[in-house]
Amino acid sequence: MADEPIVSLNRKDMIFAFLRSFFLQAAWNFERYLSYGVAYVLLPVLKKVYASQEDRSQALSRHLEYFNTHPYMASFVLGAILRMEEEKQQLPKPKQKQKEEEISALKVGMMGPIAAMGDNLFWATIRPYCGLLAVTLVLSSAFQVKGQYWVIPLLFLIVYNVAHVGIRLTGFIQGYRKGDQVVLTLRKYGFQEAIRGLKLASIVLLGVLIVFVNLSELEKEMGLFVLKLTFFTAIVGLFTFALHRKISPSQLFYAVVLFALMLAFWPDLSAPPQMEHFAPSIPAAVVVPAEMKPIKGKS
Amino acid sequence: MSHWFLISTLLAFLSLDVAAVGQFMVCRPIVVGPLVGWFLGHPDIGLEMGALIELIWIGDLPVGAHLPMDLMMLSGVSVAFACELLGTKYPNEAVMTYALGMTIPLAALSTEVDIFISKFNVRWVHLAQRMALSGHFRTFAWINWFVLLELLIKGFVVAAVSLTLVHFTSGLFFLFTTILNGKVIEGLYYAHWLLLALGCSAVIDLLVEKKTAVYLILSIVTIMGLAIFYHMQGVYLVSIALCVGFALALFYMGKGEKNG
Repeated sequence: MADEPIVSLNRKDMIFAFLRSFFLQAAWNFERYLSYGVAYVLLPVLKKVYASQEDRSQALSRHLEYFNTHPYMASFVLGAILRMEEEKQQLPKPKQKQKEEEISALKVGMMGPIAAMGDNLFWATIRPYCGLLAVTLVLSSAFQVKGQYWVIPLLFLIVYNVAHVGIRLTGFIQGYRKGDQVVLTLRKYGFQEAIRGLKLASIVLLGVLIVFVNLSELEKEMGLFVLKLTFFTAIVGLFTFALHRKISPSQLFYAVVLFALMLAFWPDLSAPPQMEHFAPSIPAAVVVPAEMKPIKGKS
Repeated sequence: MSHWFLISTLLAFLSLDVAAVGQFMVCRPIVVGPLVGWFLGHPDIGLEMGALIELIWIGDLPVGAHLPMDLMMLSGVSVAFACELLGTKYPNEAVMTYALGMTIPLAALSTEVDIFISKFNVRWVHLAQRMALSGHFRTFAWINWFVLLELLIKGFVVAAVSLTLVHFTSGLFFLFTTILNGKVIEGLYYAHWLLLALGCSAVIDLLVEKKTAVYLILSIVTIMGLAIFYHMQGVYLVSIALCVGFALALFYMGKGEKNG
């Protein structure tokens, strides 16, 4: 065993570390990404686990190496690191170096896969789903009748953060419980299936949104609604193609405004020609002088 | 002028949520829009603009080293600007489109400042490394708060400058609309509906694949049928869509467990 007394982490340490994990991206940078955040989360734990100043400095410096992953899913790694640092301190000195390498290998090995999973789950699925739900409710005028405008943003925040904080907390606890085996438990949460299912749920909501955008005409006339929906579908198809070709939404925004302004300035071809435009070509003889006009009441 | 100062302060604090603190999504347009709108007495406009911005930029994701457009600044400043123009005789849709169009370059500028800060943060990390090796753990921890202060100041300055700049372009709006005899307003009004189409395209581009396109068509046809033949109201249609969506999600999750 090591010469130093064995220190194990208690619930208070864990809660403190978990709360600090919300600052993970504070010093996000293009060189080492989340490295400072990881070290900041671990600082109180490392101070407790390592007795000597030199060991603390070494450990903290070790965690300042390059680390980049999804900020929510990082909690799986953070929990596992806490466990492994705790275990390392309990090992005899010669084996501690090996444990250090295992910690580094875990960070390097896990950051890629969990980043891909987190990006797909949160940025590309849960957040769009919550956003889409909120936008659909806005267009349905659901909570605006009595001026309850705060309901929709609040609903958005609740739905999103239940998933966000839930997965962060679960990841942290499971990471600490399983240590370096946490990678094996990731599959059992069924993230891939959840992504697939939620994407389908979002598509169903999108259908509602598309109908709502064109719904105002529905109340007036069926034919006009179908015409509008057909035009809308064509425009949506065009925009989707443009977005697929990596044209940014901002560029498309200005293209849309320009197109709409052109439409507004386009001459109305169905309107009858304005006589004043042709005034110079009217023969002077046709214009009856005022003095020749018949006077009412006189024959 | 005091409300500009308060909105800048509010946006500065909300900007911390974009990446630095928590990421609870308080910074999303659907939240920032109504918040700024409520502050200026037009929560309905804020909500509508927030929803539009949320929809159009739904596919702009912070994946890898990519920093997406600063939507917090875009929604906050554009809603504040739209609220300033609302007292006029022009339709809300036209005012919202104009406000959004004027604010996009400023939001892009804010993103550039974010990129600069992310490069500058490298210096903080090097300092942190030196502090860690020399055993100055208290200074090491304080670096976190210095960075947050730096972000707070950035958020305030960018918001204040943006609000001042858009305030001066309001005269331009009245100039255009007066000279061009209402045609600009008409165009901006049409653009609003087209922007909703752009938003739907953004969602399709993000979520729909060849395999799942059939679900979208089925959804549109079913919802249309329910709205036309059963005269169902908006909330009921959303509820039905939510239930069907959840059933599909649970079905796939169950399928995954079975296979696993």
